Formats: sequence, structure tokens, C-alpha cells
Amino acid sequence: MKILTCPMNGPRNINEFQNFGPLKANPDPDATSDQDWARHLFRADNSRGTLVEWWRHVPSNYFFLAERNATTNEVIRTFDPSELEQM
Amino acid sequence: MIAVGGMNYDKAMKAGVELPIRCYPLQAMVTQPLKPWLHTLVSSVSLHTNLVQSSRGEIVIGGGSDPYQLYSTRSTLDMKEHLAEGAVHLIPFLHGVRLLRQWAGTTDMTADYSPIMGASPLSNLWLDCGWGTWGFKATPVADKYMAQTIANQKVAPILEPFTMERFATFDLLNEMGATAASH
Ligand SMILES: Cc1cc2nc3c(=O)[nH]c(=O)nc-3n(C[C@H](O)[C@H](O)[C@H](O)COP(=O)(O)OP(=O)(O)OC[C@H]3O[C@@H](n4cnc5c(N)ncnc54)[C@H](O)[C@@H]3O)c2cc1C
Repeated sequence: MKILTCPMNGPRNINEFQNFGPLKANPDPDATSDQDWARHLFRADNSRGTLVEWWRHVPSNYFFLAERNATTNEVIRTFDPSELEQM
Repeated sequence: MIAVGGMNYDKAMKAGVELPIRCYPLQAMVTQPLKPWLHTLVSSVSLHTNLVQSSRGEIVIGGGSDPYQLYSTRSTLDMKEHLAEGAVHLIPFLHGVRLLRQWAGTTDMTADYSPIMGASPLSNLWLDCGWGTWGFKATPVADKYMAQTIANQKVAPILEPFTMERFATFDLLNEMGATAASH
């Protein structure tokens, strides 16, 4: 089984995790047009390169981010959401 | 017309059309041939497993998509174990039957699990995309109407609900119960 390294729990079997899809910007609902809001909801990064995406370690309900190559499935790194502010 | 399966997203991007599609692998496998005994399609939504016997006698076992988006078409041991477990739950006498082969393909998934058919934002560029996990049962008739659409330069009325615009107007289609893991 594929192993994913959780920033909090360390290396775990991937079936302990749930994928929440690519990271998106958080648009302001009051300042966003309906068209852009629909795009925000229904569109996500579908590139073949490196994705930054949300994951959850289900038993501990811990949300974190991973950089993963969408073609090779290589996980480049996983990190706590607090690091996002530094990105 | 853009109708290139797992390549739809990339092809549309080349024309500057951004499809609301994400690509996931879907896997299936077949057993060694058996004498005919299964004359219907057996499907369990809770086990995420479906079975059908081909005319060559192989039991074709399929299920849900992989749990995250990916362009690789390698099949995984996890999914084989999962499908075998579901198959044996449904039909216990399959437990000693051998697997003959397995494979994976790229499925182009939309947010409502329904295809995108009809016009694109560009004139004379037509879309037949997003068939995802259930396209080969439905495409023959869909493409009859796509051919009509192109010949008449007007979207066939029966295809209108499948417009890409439905995402912008929140008119999503409720087809998921008819598809997803269930066949
Ligand atoms: C493992 C697995 C099991 C499935 N099980 C079922 C099932 O039980 N029931 C069901 O209904 N569906 C099932 N599907 C889904 C079904 O296979 C697809 O939804 C369907 O094939 C999509 O049809 P399509 O015509 O849109 O694309 P495709 O069938 O992928 O056809 C696209 C064609 O375009 C070609 N192409 C690609 N790029 C180009 C290019 N640049 N120029 C020209 N041609 C190009 C490709 O070679 C291909 O022949 C399954 C899929 C997989 C992977």
C-alpha cells in the first residue's frame, strides 16, 4: 500500500487519508461575481504537473497539504497549513 | 468537436476553453473464463463493486474511481483487493477463481458526474466531454444527437440540459444515482 507521511502523525497507510482536492484561493463571496463564484466551486487544478492539495488524516481529523505530481503520483512533500502563509 | 476522453481537458485548454473537469483513474479486472451463469449485471453501491459476465465467460469486475486525481493508468493492488473483496461478498463461490488481467483508464469527471455536450464558448467548436465512468453505455445515442447538432449547427433539444453553462447557472444534473460506482 502507498504510504503518505502526515505532518502530524508520520508515515501512515494511504487508506487512512481522504483527499480534498487542489488548493484554491478563497474569494470574498460579497465581492465575487456569480460567474467567478461558480468557477471557484466547480473548477479545480487539473494539470499534469505538481498539485498542491488538501488531505485529511481521517482518524485524527487533521487537515494538511501535500505537493503531489499528478502524473507520477510522487508525493513531493506534506506540510501543515500554517506554512501556507509563508508561501 | 472535442471528444477525446481523458484528453478532453488538455485539448479544450489548447482552444482556451476551461472545462470543469478533473481526471481520475478508473480500474477494472477480469477473471478466467467460466461457463455462462451470470445473465444480469450485479452491482452494489455500498461495496462499490459491480460484476458482469462477458460473452467469453470472463467475470468483469469494476467499481468506483480511484480516491484522488491522477493521470497514471497503472492499476493498483489496493483496488484489486477491494474489488475482489466486494466480488466475494456478493458471490462467495468466486473465491477460488483466478484473475486474468486488470487495467486502468483516465476518466474525465465533472462535478455532477454528467457529461458536457453541446456548444462551447467558441463558435463551431462542439463539446462531447466529461463522460467519466459511464460513457460507453451512453455514447452511441448521445453521438447520434451530437452528429445532428453539428449538421444543424444547433444543439439538439434533448442535449440542452448537458450544456457547460449549467455550472455557471447552478443547474446541475442529478445523474449520480444512475452512475457513480453502481455500474
Ligand atoms: C476501467 C474502466 C471501466 C469502465 N467501465 C464502464 C462501464 O462499465 N460502463 C460504462 O458505461 N462506461 C465505463 N467506462 C467509461 C467509458 O470507457 C468512458 O466513459 C468512455 O469510453 C468515454 O467515451 P469517449 O468517446 O468520451 O472517450 P474515449 O472512449 O476515451 O475515446 C476518445 C478517443 O479519442 C482518441 N484521441 C485522444 N487524443 C486524440 C487526438 N489528439 N486526436 C484524435 N484522437 C484522439 C483516443 O485514442 C480515443 O480513441 C469505464 C472506463 C474505464 C477506464
